[in-house]
Amino acid sequence: MKIISIIIKDLKIILSDKKALAIMIVMPIVLTTILSMALKGSFISGEDNNIKTVNIAIVKLYDENMDSQMFKTALNNNIISQGMGDKTLKELIDSGNSINPEEMIFEDFLNSKEVSEIINYRLEKEEKAMELLNNGEVSAVLLFPDKFIYDMKINLLTPFRNNVEIKVITHPDRNIDGQIVKSVIEAYSNAMSSIIIGKNVIIESVMANNISYDSISNMEDTMEKMNKLIKDINVNIDNVVVEGKKNISSADYYAVAMMTMFILFAAGQGGRMLLEEKDNLTYQRMIVAGTSSLGILCGKLITIFLIAIFQIVTMIIFSHYALKVQWGNLNSVILISLSAAFSVAGLGTFIGAISYKAGNYKIANIFESAIIQCMALLGGSFFPIEVLPKIMQNLSFLSINGIALRSYLKVLIGSGTKDVINNIFILNIIGLLFSILAIIVLNRKEGYNAKYNKTTDIKA
Amino acid sequence: MLKIKNLYKNFGSIKAVEGVSFEVKKGDIYGLLGPNGAGKSTTISIISTLLQPTSGEVLYEGSNIFLDSKPIRRDLGIVPQDIALYPTLTGYENLLFWGNVYGLKGSQLKKRISEISDIVGLNERIKDRVDKYSGGMKRRLNIGAALLHMPKLLIMDEPTVGIDPQSRNHILDTVLELNKQGITIIYTSHYMEEVEYLCNQICIMDEGKVIALGRKSELVELVKEKTQISIRFDKTDVCVLNSLKEIRGVFDANIVDEGITLFGDNGDTLLAEIIAKATEHGRRIESIDVKKPNLEAVFLHLTGKALRD
Repeated sequence: MKIISIIIKDLKIILSDKKALAIMIVMPIVLTTILSMALKGSFISGEDNNIKTVNIAIVKLYDENMDSQMFKTALNNNIISQGMGDKTLKELIDSGNSINPEEMIFEDFLNSKEVSEIINYRLEKEEKAMELLNNGEVSAVLLFPDKFIYDMKINLLTPFRNNVEIKVITHPDRNIDGQIVKSVIEAYSNAMSSIIIGKNVIIESVMANNISYDSISNMEDTMEKMNKLIKDINVNIDNVVVEGKKNISSADYYAVAMMTMFILFAAGQGGRMLLEEKDNLTYQRMIVAGTSSLGILCGKLITIFLIAIFQIVTMIIFSHYALKVQWGNLNSVILISLSAAFSVAGLGTFIGAISYKAGNYKIANIFESAIIQCMALLGGSFFPIEVLPKIMQNLSFLSINGIALRSYLKVLIGSGTKDVINNIFILNIIGLLFSILAIIVLNRKEGYNAKYNKTTDIKA
Repeated sequence: MLKIKNLYKNFGSIKAVEGVSFEVKKGDIYGLLGPNGAGKSTTISIISTLLQPTSGEVLYEGSNIFLDSKPIRRDLGIVPQDIALYPTLTGYENLLFWGNVYGLKGSQLKKRISEISDIVGLNERIKDRVDKYSGGMKRRLNIGAALLHMPKLLIMDEPTVGIDPQSRNHILDTVLELNKQGITIIYTSHYMEEVEYLCNQICIMDEGKVIALGRKSELVELVKEKTQISIRFDKTDVCVLNSLKEIRGVFDANIVDEGITLFGDNGDTLLAEIIAKATEHGRRIESIDVKKPNLEAVFLHLTGKALRD
């Protein structure tokens, strides 16, 4: 009964605080609306369940004829042709003439049915390509390096392996498109690497067993098989869009991102409540009236939980009706929301307990001004974490908003509860750990504190 | 009803309370008088179970409150020195909350809130937010919140600090009325007049220690029939002070607030002598205040300093 009274009283106080309401309720709504409009181009439309075609420009920094000539010259070089008979050398030169790495990547790969549905390319000079990228007419530019044909022929036909780096330049506002292009090129690159490694293993085995190069009867046949393999490259872009699942629009993303970030402010707000009670002497008065410190702490925990739930419900309703966000499976959304709110409540109670013991608001201030911002960045509330370095992406699991955001997004694209159950578990564990820590901190015996010397060792 | 036995409270090297003992009987208005920092609030915090003493005992109805705090917490109403209310809630919402905390509910609580609003004279403003109240109104509501559960023992810690005379009088009248209704009250103040006016038993504290206790008449006895004379000269110095101390019938004299306060047998005869001494030293007397013995005099007599120091 006392806990319920504390909760009702705290809710009345917070709901009468216009500044707090503006931060916790109005700000996320405003920011979501602005960001979802402004960054629409960075996301695939949520209404379109098919992958849109990504326009790219390709720049050839090599000279095909010069590279082929260079390869012929290199074949006559003693190091490469050592151990080869004249016949083999001739076959190798013939194979070099017939194998066309350019055709392999453009005709066999980029023009294949599967890839051409995703990527629409045009050949441009470097300067023009960059201009197109800056104008937003293409989402990425691929730079095929100098000596590309020569290096590829060396890699495909000889035991040697030269480094070939295809550079992908993406538009910062179109990170999803950029991810698609990178995924496609990565798939091609991986497939090529497998082929080249396979070829090298064959050649090295032959040489290790003192079998003459001449025993590889038909190099051209081998190359034919390689070409077939390239055509069969399976482009895996599962991390962008999974078959049968909905795409994430900017409104979807930022509704979740802002909501998960702003519920952290409930923790900050709640973190001040205990110390405010202490400063107002109402905490002491409650203790004298027979309320236990644990009861007061529980009251704060539930208050923060309810505020976070209020924020989440407001945001879900607003984004659903105003921004047409479809939140997905209701049960999953409820489970994630309850877990995220509990996690935030635990954190807020912990901040409250530390602030109470410290006797100042520094911790709550630091949390609101710095820690929330870090969590927002790491958790992907400002922009998708895929654009961050890998190490920072891994750190997103340190942020409550990041875990909640991933969970909501999964449900939003159509995943079920079992796909987010681990995250729900983690959120609840975080909430529980912080709650336990709050109890431990609050019950720790204090030393002398001039400001509160009258009330330092309150016994509840 | 309440026995405090040899109470000590240290905060590190700071000795806030040193060997305090006194007894409050049922029906008393017990005054704790002393300057700021005398240890009154610390003593009250211990009685309220907010602080554990370093050593000593507090017995409420014969049982140690630190072994079982429930009986005293049930019967105790506390009015803290600062306003322990929620400023953004209305007076009614505050009383509703504190009533709930004390275990009251429903119609019983509403009836009690109405009674309390009457007692503290806030009926017309009870639905206003507390931050819109004057200082005096906040103090009265602060008292009201402690009365909701009809406590048997009410502790009031400096309840009139910083308020207008009208609200102060209202509070003093309320204290007397509550005592008539059977509530035992412990009243702390550094205002000597309030304690003199309200309290039948008085404990004077200074620097964490009890320096005197008893009825007012008993305390005044400590300074016998001495009259307190405060004189303000155009220039006060030790030379004049020593000269006044030489007057027959003067027991003690001190420089207080740039003037001289002395105690003597008979004020009427001493005045002529004082004027003569002042003339002798070429001093002009700006004012003379003659007071019959009171608690201020007792404090000055016992500590050598004024209560407001």
